Amino acid sequence: MKTFDVSGGDTLSFSLFDDVTNAKELLDSMQAGALEPEVALLNPSLIPDLFPVLVAAHKTLLFKSRGSLTTRTLHSELVYNYSGSKHISESLKRCGISDGSTYVLAAKFNASIEEMTAVASLIKGKEIGLEELEARASTSQIQKHYKVPAPELEISSLADAITCRIAARDAL
Amino acid sequence: MEEDQENRGELILVKQGAEARVFESSFVGRRCIIKERFSKKYRHPSLDAKLTLKRLNAEARCMTKARRLGVTTPLLYAVDPMLHTLTFEYVDGPSVKDLFLEFGVHGVVEERLDDVAAQIGDAIAKLHDGGLVHGDLTTSNMLIQSSTNRLVLIDFGLSFTSTLPEDKAVDLYVLERALLSMHSSCGDVMEKILAAYRKSSKQWSSTLNKLAQVRQRGRKRTMVG
Repeated sequence: MKTFDVSGGDTLSFSLFDDVTNAKELLDSMQAGALEPEVALLNPSLIPDLFPVLVAAHKTLLFKSRGSLTTRTLHSELVYNYSGSKHISESLKRCGISDGSTYVLAAKFNASIEEMTAVASLIKGKEIGLEELEARASTSQIQKHYKVPAPELEISSLADAITCRIAARDAL
Repeated sequence: MEEDQENRGELILVKQGAEARVFESSFVGRRCIIKERFSKKYRHPSLDAKLTLKRLNAEARCMTKARRLGVTTPLLYAVDPMLHTLTFEYVDGPSVKDLFLEFGVHGVVEERLDDVAAQIGDAIAKLHDGGLVHGDLTTSNMLIQSSTNRLVLIDFGLSFTSTLPEDKAVDLYVLERALLSMHSSCGDVMEKILAAYRKSSKQWSSTLNKLAQVRQRGRKRTMVG
């Protein structure tokens, strides 16, 4: 588990899991709004680095403070914002988890140690180090989802390309 | 109010222009630059809100488009449509203007000058071939990142998309005039830039033909006849 400051004292905590067996249950209870504690479950294949997630988190908190979230909860908004797209259901499908997911990143705003322990017990799998993200991210999936052309990769990392798309989405 | 200040981190004014103020601050633990477009009190409020937002979004779009074309610009961190701010990566390094002025004082380092001119020509060619016109190519809108020695283009506030040779030629002409007036002691930098442009751009010939015409008449077209 790792915790980062996002802005003004608000934090985001992460835990990464592999060999997850209950993705379907997690997804069902999340869609029923019954996931306790509330947490964002992301598809780590699209996450080469945590910085873009923090950028999405910053945006999420800003819009929350203005009461202008697009999706139903703070944590689903994080998944939606990470997608860099305006298509909500498609975003949640691609950047969130699906029935057969075995590799899952959990992220929670302003979480206490106890809450993150509760999250870990919710997810049936093996917790692994966050440094695994970079090596296990799928370059081809990222390039396809975020539409990163070859010339951009000559001057930019994948994480930077994702960051730009998250930041600029609403300007497009 | 105090809490609000904390939320946004400490702001240090770096530059004040006619359209915007530029601050240095921090964003999620990284050093950043915040560009705030302020409203113009002489404009009608509803028109003003529309224009400010439109230009804010256009700038964000053009910056990210430049990156897609393979031209380094500061990484965009956030766009705030309510406060009219853009937040981007802090690029550490001198502007090309300062570098060239330094050459003027202490003598030209030929190798360095050639490298920078080649990077400038290459970057503009990539923008133009991708249909993007910078609109304000001056040496103060170009930085050399210290850690990589790479050219970084900034300030896309006047940028727009166009495929017309006319717009591209004017873009180059503005740079040529700026170089002539500021950096004549560096020799003919423009020639080196155009040589690199010709190498990188597939559409160099129509643009450079147009540039010859623009030189005859200046930046503005005469609308007579």
